[in-house]
Amino acid sequence: MFKLVGATGGYGKTTIIRDVSLEVRHGEVVALLGRNGVGKSTLMRFASGSIPAMAGHVEIDGKVAPTAPEKRARLGLGYVPQGRFVFPRMTVAENIAVAAAATGHDHKAAVAAALADFPMLKPKLDDLAGGLSGGQQQVLALARALATQPRILLLDEPTEGVQPSIIDEMAGILKRINTERGIAILVAEQDLDFCLSIAGRAYVMEKGRIRMEVDRDTLRADTALQQDLLGV
Amino acid sequence: MEADFLATVLLSSLSSASILLIATIGLAVVFGLMGVINLAHGEFLMIGAYTALTATQAGVPYLLSIPIAVAVTMAIGALVEVLIISRLYGRIFDTMLATWGISIAFYQLAVLTFGTVSPGIGMPQISVQIGDYSLALYPLLMNVVALLMLGFVYLLMTRSVYGMKARASIQVPEMARAIGISSSRVNTLTFALGCGLAGFAGAVLLPIVPATPSMGFAFVIKAFLTVVVAGPVTLTGSALAAIGLGGGASVTASFLTSVAGDAFFFIVTALLLWRFPLGISARWRRKL
Repeated sequence: MFKLVGATGGYGKTTIIRDVSLEVRHGEVVALLGRNGVGKSTLMRFASGSIPAMAGHVEIDGKVAPTAPEKRARLGLGYVPQGRFVFPRMTVAENIAVAAAATGHDHKAAVAAALADFPMLKPKLDDLAGGLSGGQQQVLALARALATQPRILLLDEPTEGVQPSIIDEMAGILKRINTERGIAILVAEQDLDFCLSIAGRAYVMEKGRIRMEVDRDTLRADTALQQDLLGV
Repeated sequence: MEADFLATVLLSSLSSASILLIATIGLAVVFGLMGVINLAHGEFLMIGAYTALTATQAGVPYLLSIPIAVAVTMAIGALVEVLIISRLYGRIFDTMLATWGISIAFYQLAVLTFGTVSPGIGMPQISVQIGDYSLALYPLLMNVVALLMLGFVYLLMTRSVYGMKARASIQVPEMARAIGISSSRVNTLTFALGCGLAGFAGAVLLPIVPATPSMGFAFVIKAFLTVVVAGPVTLTGSALAAIGLGGGASVTASFLTSVAGDAFFFIVTALLLWRFPLGISARWRRKL
């Protein structure tokens, strides 16, 4: 249902990712692995439409997706960027409500639904998002993306700077939304254990390209491969 | 010093601060929510004043001429945004240059259309007596108008869906688009709103500040400095800066000369920007 075809992009005149093609099928959880600086975040920004394509395109449901990120969001593409980027001078409730409203959903219902998914946000609802801890901001960024009612969720380094107890909780939530709502997930990560706990297969990136595609069991068994590709 | 004199000075200084605030809010909205410094802000104020003047001369009651002025300036503002400003986002100096050009064009247009002097509409001749002194009522009324304007903009920006979208768009533009906000439409509306607020200011201040083609210049410099001193928490920051700078300048002017009042305004502005280069509200944790 979601495809990158020949994705080539970067910043200014610098090309970071070259001719990357990958696919996330309906209801699937796929990991994007690789060391620091191989282009995972650039690939995610390409997919969300935040950087212009130098070549290649994105397909949603077999059709070429429009280039504007806001149109992709309305087609069901949810994006949680690395570093969260919550709206700092808006309250937690407003962060969720604005995402729902912008994609044409009822914003009060969205806040209520988010609280059901993430009860830990409840006492913080009227606090400014900029004052939350890193882990809380990560949860909020996820809740905000879910408020757009996506069918495919792009998660960029969701465990970065988040305490282990929240990482476990997050893995549980992601598994649940994947199975209960059929939301497909593409997650870029360095935390191999986190990926192995939620993703069925993975693409491994190196120097801006996809080096290989592996399924969970192969990757879990092959420690030499883990060492070679990820340095773990 | 007499208590009644002091009360008179304080009240009229508060009115001056409110007048500055009324003239500034539109600029603050556009700067705070779009990051655009609209140097044609003063000319939108002037267009609002002339619209109200023309309407009253045509027999429309003055109160009704105010919404007409708002509608006209909002429409022109939306047009300017779509045709010019929308091409220059993220290029703050280019937008300043472009809006400066727009301001010159509007000024010349007003000179050609209305000439350099035009009749005022006269202030309602009601005054209040404080001891031996009497104060005109209309400028005092501006305190109420300023409060209402602040309240309106605050509620619009915090309670409406449009307000949430506008704040999201300025805080993290890339993420705003990634969650489905079409920032170009939000920006057109915000710029039109800022121009409409300028038009409102021009119309509501018409009995105090008569419409002339150059009236914009008188306001735009002080309004601009007020917004810069205010910093990122635009609305609260601008209100405080307007009261401090505008009110302070007016008190100084009452006891010394109007030149001393202006000197106070610019010296305090320079000192504040030296101490708070990003504006007085740079570290505040507030929404607006």
